[in-house]
Amino acid sequence: MTTDTETDGGTEDRTAPLIGDERTSERERTGNRLVNWMENLSEAAYAYLLLLPAFALLALIAFYPLVMTFVMSLREDRTRGLEPLGGFVGFENYVDILTGNARLARQFLDVSVSASYPFVELGVPFLQQALFVTLAFAVISVLLETVIGFGQAYVLDQDFRGRRWVRVAIILPWAVPIVIQGMIFFLLFQPTVGFGSDLMQWLGVFGPDPLADSQDAFIIILVADIWKSAAFMALLILAGLQSVDRSLYNVARVAGASPWQRFKMITLPLVMPALLVAMLFRTMDAMRVYGLIESTAGCTTVPSLTCLVVEAMFGGTRIFATAAAVAFTTAIVIGLIISVYVFFFRDTEGGLY
Amino acid sequence: MTDDSHDGDPTGRPDASDENRTRADRNATATDIASGRTRNSSAARSRPDRLRPETDGGRVTDRPEDRGAIFEEDGDRELDRGPFQQWVANSISNPERTYRAMFYVATIFFLFTTLFPFYWLLMVALTPEGRQQDIVLTPNGFNPGAFVEVFQVIPFHWYVFNSFVIATASTIIVLVIASLAGYAFGRLEFPGKIPLMLLVLVISFFPPAAFFIPLNDLFNTQFAVLEPITGDGSLYNTPGAMVLPLSAIFMPLAIFILTTFYAQIPDGLEDAARVEGTTRLGALFRVIIPLSAPGVATAGVLTFIAVYNEFFFSFLMTDGQPENWAPILEGILGYQGQYEVMYHLMAAASIIGVIPVAILVIVAQEKIVSGLTAGALKE
Repeated sequence: MTTDTETDGGTEDRTAPLIGDERTSERERTGNRLVNWMENLSEAAYAYLLLLPAFALLALIAFYPLVMTFVMSLREDRTRGLEPLGGFVGFENYVDILTGNARLARQFLDVSVSASYPFVELGVPFLQQALFVTLAFAVISVLLETVIGFGQAYVLDQDFRGRRWVRVAIILPWAVPIVIQGMIFFLLFQPTVGFGSDLMQWLGVFGPDPLADSQDAFIIILVADIWKSAAFMALLILAGLQSVDRSLYNVARVAGASPWQRFKMITLPLVMPALLVAMLFRTMDAMRVYGLIESTAGCTTVPSLTCLVVEAMFGGTRIFATAAAVAFTTAIVIGLIISVYVFFFRDTEGGLY
Repeated sequence: MTDDSHDGDPTGRPDASDENRTRADRNATATDIASGRTRNSSAARSRPDRLRPETDGGRVTDRPEDRGAIFEEDGDRELDRGPFQQWVANSISNPERTYRAMFYVATIFFLFTTLFPFYWLLMVALTPEGRQQDIVLTPNGFNPGAFVEVFQVIPFHWYVFNSFVIATASTIIVLVIASLAGYAFGRLEFPGKIPLMLLVLVISFFPPAAFFIPLNDLFNTQFAVLEPITGDGSLYNTPGAMVLPLSAIFMPLAIFILTTFYAQIPDGLEDAARVEGTTRLGALFRVIIPLSAPGVATAGVLTFIAVYNEFFFSFLMTDGQPENWAPILEGILGYQGQYEVMYHLMAAASIIGVIPVAILVIVAQEKIVSGLTAGALKE
């Protein structure tokens, strides 16, 4: 292990018996007051010191704006006059959002309880309600991306000739800017330019105008997202696979474990921490999908939660308070999903905490 | 093909051949109890090379001995088998062969699905303007000039350069700050650890739009401190207006990745460094980070790519002029004219824009693989 030998020729000190090391480090420490002070901190104080830069940046760029936005969400929309925000109305904006009464182009959630089967009534079709669209998108895309990403990572973890290039090729979709990703799939399924729509119509999956149909456009966006983001999962899982100690496999092989057993008993548990982080962040990303939708089918056809926020905030309707409230409701929904993760995986060793 | 087995996995060889022998023994017992065992194993050991040319093209012969056994056993009895039946029979007696075949099928499938959209994009780029109809596998016409025209219509290289600078700066900031935080979360015990981790995570719950209005006000406010640097004292239209929010937004992911990787380094290695007189920070930068190279490289690549490709702040935090640090996104959208969209130029620009990231992945993937050595050092 390297030590601070450059500072004051400690090369001969290193060969000294252990007892001399105390003295050596003492002498090194006197060299720099800052280092000296840091060495004498308790473990907790040192931890807080290390966290300070991260939290200083986050406080300025993330927490401060969030508090401002939250205050905004508690005020009244004022569509006329100079000042866009009215007085405090408490949680009225949130109630409007959840009951389908907000002045949004597409509703966040619009269901009512009914007496007959299936006991809930949708105010507008399923795929026109932002909450359901986003949830369905997140669940399906994350599941498929995890499976495909694992497959890709497993392939990339093997030894074969040309592995470097295959690795680059498989990770490349993740490197595509969202605008381009949107453009590729928009053009592929655009009836005059691409052949995707013709193909899918021939298979009987798509209707006459896929990019304007909620269901078909949803599938297109799903495919586009899986194409790009499976690479993200693959990269994180690959990094996890790479830090698995190879000798464990040799031990398992000698003990007669089948490849499936090797996967289940060695690979999966050891990759779990990296896999969980990957799934966690993919879920949060999928719940906030916006750029992809905007650049393919548009927010009217496939309304996601972030779509609502952006349209309310920049759509020229001056409903900033509602926009802020939708943003916070989105965060609460994501928070609930994350707590499900934390709950189910709380026993995972080396997991999130 | 057969060469692959040699340069494939040199360390695995001795074990594999041991296992082969036992498996070959088992096969032999099942088919020909009386004479099989001795005949098979001696034949396999003495003449492994003779049998190699008889393997059928697609398979990598990891274990000639095993195949030798099958060949000797089944050779005369099963001559009437078709090639498919033969393949299935071989697969059953030698599962590794099936795994290898599945592996190649999967690799080719993944390569096709990931690369096809790029190929198609290239075809769109090569199709001359105004003829973008029904492009399937070949372009309608051939116009490589699009790749030159891209730079003539707008200064696209300038946008790429801006994005590159912004992404590099953000990645460095994120990696340094997240390394410190990841070390604290992953390796130190202190009160309030889990609430603080959740606080970091909470940032990722919010749509970027939730940050935008207050941040926009903040960056348009004039600070006397910044005047010597930015001229009018505000951050709008400077790289700071992109680097700061993007660093903050992508930092949680980096912190979590680094926390998981740093937490896996055994304490003994760090203690050893400390006993030798390394400072606390020295132990982090000289022991923990080098041993977590795959994690650090992954966090770096992910952050760089995420910043380079970001949609929301890239779109809103500058006025779209390349001299005001507008990123690549503005460049690509610049090909949308007032009346028409120049799809072939957007496609060509996209391909050019992906190249820097591809180079980065090529460089960084060596680091990501280096986990092999790190794993060896670990315990």
